[in-house]
Amino acid sequence: MTQIFTVTELNSRISDRLEGDLRLHDLWARGEVSNYVHHRSGHRYFTLKDRESQISCVLFRSNGGSLDFEMNDGKNVLVYGDVTVYRPQGRVQLVARGIKQDEGLGFRHLQLEALKEKLAREGLFAPERKRPLPRYPQRIGIVTSPQGAALRDVLRTLGNYPARIILSPAQVQGEEAEKSIAAALLALRGRSDLIIVCRGGGSTEDLWCFNSEMVARAIFACDAPVISAVGHETDVTVADHVADARAATPTAAAKMAVPDLEEVQEALKYTKVRMMRALWTALERERDRLGHLQHALSARRMYSLTRDCRQRLDYLSQRLEGAEAGRLNRHRSRLELMAGRLGAVGPQETLQRGYAIARSGKGLIVKAADVRPGEDIELILSQGRLLCRILECREDEGAML
Amino acid sequence: MDDLEQIVEVLEEGKMSLEDSLELYEKGMKLVCLCQSRLQNAEKRIECLTGELPTDLS
Repeated sequence: MTQIFTVTELNSRISDRLEGDLRLHDLWARGEVSNYVHHRSGHRYFTLKDRESQISCVLFRSNGGSLDFEMNDGKNVLVYGDVTVYRPQGRVQLVARGIKQDEGLGFRHLQLEALKEKLAREGLFAPERKRPLPRYPQRIGIVTSPQGAALRDVLRTLGNYPARIILSPAQVQGEEAEKSIAAALLALRGRSDLIIVCRGGGSTEDLWCFNSEMVARAIFACDAPVISAVGHETDVTVADHVADARAATPTAAAKMAVPDLEEVQEALKYTKVRMMRALWTALERERDRLGHLQHALSARRMYSLTRDCRQRLDYLSQRLEGAEAGRLNRHRSRLELMAGRLGAVGPQETLQRGYAIARSGKGLIVKAADVRPGEDIELILSQGRLLCRILECREDEGAML
Repeated sequence: MDDLEQIVEVLEEGKMSLEDSLELYEKGMKLVCLCQSRLQNAEKRIECLTGELPTDLS
């Protein structure tokens, strides 16, 4: 090419070239901060360097809000941003979009983040899936180092709680730890109602096995709820995320696992009281029922119930008497009437005029021929009777009248 | 303990006949005694899946 560039054109070309390269965008770089200046404008300028090289960096004010620590010379940082060219000076620079402190973990740390995301997506951390801890576990499995202090802490805190404790030993740091822990968890399958995974304090390095995918999946696959007491307050490991519950220390885990013995004693005493009270109430209720029934059947009640009937009875009998009396009177008057009429047609008056009724054994004597001399006959007078004997029968004499 | 809790709740509801209540009460009391004796007589029972326990534990 035979073009002669101006500096501007040259820098422009360089700029296009670099800024067009996707590999120079959205990248992370690590280095030490030097020549740090927090400009009046709000922009921050610094040089990022390692042992052999350096590059200019700028964090514009608009992105400065995400800074969560103090920037100083000498700090090791991770810078996230794009490579650009500051054209007026033909200078390559790194425009930062975010800056984090460099913990020295680097690649491993990023791997961890990636693992966390993957497991989270698969739902291993989901709160819905976390199982509730049994209130009164009967078999407690512990995965930890048999020599470590963590085990002793747990045993001491569990105290006299009546449960079987099953230790499934594992290596909790070092190269083989991952496999060891996963195997120990698997060995507890079908043997416990609750599992505690714990280790004593240690550096982040020591705890790294609990950030492994193998251990995470082993915890997830346990058939009993798992309490994880592995990390520190500051380091929450993957195991802590997957577990059904998390405790800051092994002692705290043991406390979570079982109810306080004194509280259980109290609760038992109280249930006794509750049961007695409930029974007592049931008895009282029955007694009341009985009382009600007794009252319902009492003589008094019967008496008062029959009172109406009795009253009615009295009333009716009164009416009856009244009616009877009336009837009697009527009959009596009728009788007198009849007697009068009877008297009128009876022989009494005739007899009083001196006539007599003559009767024989055969009945009324109407003519002399009805009797024979010597026969006994009876004469009925108006008062009294005469017993007579026939002297003579005279047939020819007619009626007196 | 969970069984016991259930029994007490049913008793407190008070919907049962006297005989049934008495039966449940008996059952409940037996459970209380059982739990209490378990608490009293708890010996530390710890076993190790891979065989021996470290000496300071057993």
